[in-house]
Amino acid sequence: MKENAASRVLFILLLFLYASLLNGQSPPEKPKLIKCRSPGKETFTCWWEPGADGGLPTNYTLTYHKEGETLIHECPDYKTGGPNSCYFSKKYTSIWKMYVITVSAINQMGISSSDPLYVDVTYIVEPEPPMNLTLELKHPEDRKPYLWIKWSPPTLTDVKSGWFSIQYEIRLKPEKATDWETHFAPKLTQLKIFNLYPGQKYLVQIRCKPDHGYWSEWSPESSIQIPNDFPVKDTSMWIFVGVLSAVICLIMVWAVALKGYSMVTCILPPVPGPKIKGFDIHLLEKGKSEELLRALESQDFLPTSDCEDLLMEFIEVDDSEDQHLMPHPSKEHMEQGVKPMHLDPDTDSGRGSCDSPSLLSEKCDEPQAYPSKFHIPEGPEKLENPETNLTCLQAPQSTNGEGKIPYFLANGPKSSTWPFPQPPSLYSPRYSYHNIADVCELALGMAGTTATLLDQTDQHAFTPSKTIETGGEGKAAKQRESEAYNSEPDQDMAWPLLQDKTPLFSAKPLEYVEIHKVSQDGVLALFPKQNEKVDAPETSKEYSKVSRMTDSNILVLIPDLQAQNLTLLEEPAKKAPPALP
Amino acid sequence: MSNLLLCQGNFCTFLCPHGDDLCLNSLKDLFNRATNLSQDIYNLSSKMFKEFDKRYAQGKGYITMALNSCHTSSLPTPEDKEQAQQTHHEVLMSLILGLLRSWNDPLYHLVTEVRGMKGVPDAILSRAIEIEEENKRLLEGMEMIFGQVIPGAKETEPYPVWSGLPSLQTKDEEARHSAFYNLLHCLRRDSSKIDTYLKLLNCRIIYNNNC
Repeated sequence: MKENAASRVLFILLLFLYASLLNGQSPPEKPKLIKCRSPGKETFTCWWEPGADGGLPTNYTLTYHKEGETLIHECPDYKTGGPNSCYFSKKYTSIWKMYVITVSAINQMGISSSDPLYVDVTYIVEPEPPMNLTLELKHPEDRKPYLWIKWSPPTLTDVKSGWFSIQYEIRLKPEKATDWETHFAPKLTQLKIFNLYPGQKYLVQIRCKPDHGYWSEWSPESSIQIPNDFPVKDTSMWIFVGVLSAVICLIMVWAVALKGYSMVTCILPPVPGPKIKGFDIHLLEKGKSEELLRALESQDFLPTSDCEDLLMEFIEVDDSEDQHLMPHPSKEHMEQGVKPMHLDPDTDSGRGSCDSPSLLSEKCDEPQAYPSKFHIPEGPEKLENPETNLTCLQAPQSTNGEGKIPYFLANGPKSSTWPFPQPPSLYSPRYSYHNIADVCELALGMAGTTATLLDQTDQHAFTPSKTIETGGEGKAAKQRESEAYNSEPDQDMAWPLLQDKTPLFSAKPLEYVEIHKVSQDGVLALFPKQNEKVDAPETSKEYSKVSRMTDSNILVLIPDLQAQNLTLLEEPAKKAPPALP
Repeated sequence: MSNLLLCQGNFCTFLCPHGDDLCLNSLKDLFNRATNLSQDIYNLSSKMFKEFDKRYAQGKGYITMALNSCHTSSLPTPEDKEQAQQTHHEVLMSLILGLLRSWNDPLYHLVTEVRGMKGVPDAILSRAIEIEEENKRLLEGMEMIFGQVIPGAKETEPYPVWSGLPSLQTKDEEARHSAFYNLLHCLRRDSSKIDTYLKLLNCRIIYNNNC
């Protein structure tokens, strides 16, 4: 029974279907929602696409519900948006809320519903194109001509209150051209275009975009004809500038052609080579050192008054116990009138000049070049660091009761304060030098060393690049990196050692073998040197005057005030010259 | 320069009461910077959402779960132009501050959890990091603006707390992706709100509704 009923219903249904198929009628196809758009974030419209209507008149209804609500509404306005659309007016529009929208197609045969569309009005904003696009050619005086484009915001957008923010984009091109020239206008509703070609007809379009949303369509084209006599640029000025620069170029070419060389020398003066009066480079090249030195000898090329200030003013030698050392003004010595000789003919000639900054520094730097260097380094590497050998001590102003008595301190191993490692019999360093500190500083400074004479760090003598200080004495010695300092202390005694507290009395013979400086008056300033090879004091003489220079590069000294034996001192490089009676 | 008169209905207040240019210029500058920041945050969050949608959410129907899922929906924010224009600027500013504060914590966790996602595109991660940073800066700027426009007002309103961390850390990948989708969807919406409110306030206060 039941089976009969079921099969009967089925039969009828199939019959019905067959009949309708024969008529071409069917339930409508599912419609499809295309898009929804809002022109100003205050209203929006949705459009759908109907499917096949199944041969029967079909009605479409749009239903929606909002996020957070359960009530289902129907579209308030099917007309305003055109066919197959639904328009939501302000009253029905909420921002930042999801709408779930569905379109249904109904006909006699059935109902079909579309897939739901989830819409948030915030993200579907697409404005109309801007309106009232006007083009105007402007040619103000004294300024470049331009095209002035103006427009107004599209309809339905409330820009004034800030609810809607827009950016604009303009494009233009000559009528015949293919590519558009695009300009961006972030906020203002006008734009000035320069550099247009005269005689062309330009087409202009504009579109806009909200801060969140889609670009609008391009506005209809506006066109403007640029007249033929429209000045593109202010050319007269450029012509003038061009002519002027051409004239200037011509003048310069002509001047160069006429006086090329002198102009070049005027602009780029040649670098003067080193020159010493009386010194002939060619002599040097020939190797005739004697002639060279004679030439030097005849010149008074040495120090100026500056040197007197720089150099210690006196040298004292303590010959016997009776004698005492006292500072002499240097003038007495300086006025000896002895021509100083420079003993390094194979180096460049500039060394002799006191004015030359190289003098002191070189003497300080290259002690090995002098007969009696103050330091006998153990190995050759020491010589590479001439600066390391130079140590200058300067008593601080306050501590030395005897006033400023700068003195030189050799770098003995235990010699931070008391640099007297060698037997005292050799000599006593009892020299007081005025302004030695200045000299030394100058020497060091000019040598480019970073010696800081007055560093106040307690330091052992060997530490490289450190200063030695004796607390009470206040001596400061700047040491260079040199392992040589670690070697025999007695070899390090090049400078005289002067201690604050030792009396300036001693009966030690002294020997001067190193030329420190030559004063203007021909006075040779010498440094005493410790000669380890000297067993006994040969002489106790004071030699402070240079008599002459021998052929074998020997400096001949004569004593100053006493008629003593002449002493010949040999000064080969890197060797301690023996003192010969 | 004239004083800045801020009227809401019949109720008017003077901003920058001494009428000095410095005060007005600084306020103008603050608003300018704030709107730039808010616009940038919106752009970043929009791109981040689209990127995530394209990569992880195609055909998954996560949107249905995202309805009503925002933790800030309890804040009484205006929802169309008329409502917004009738909201007092003080209320509007408090709402902005509440939104900014309530996003501090979720943004921090978003960055941490996105980092841990396998194969996450750099476009998503880098944007998340930048948004977190800019959110803090915007909050600071808003607090300054608030202090200048409404001096002496208390602004320690409670803000909605986010509690979606467990769903971000769940083992089920689908559920986790759905949770991320929700978060990014809400972030995009709230950043749009903040941006729009700020621009409204800017035109209202600085330009007197004549932007």
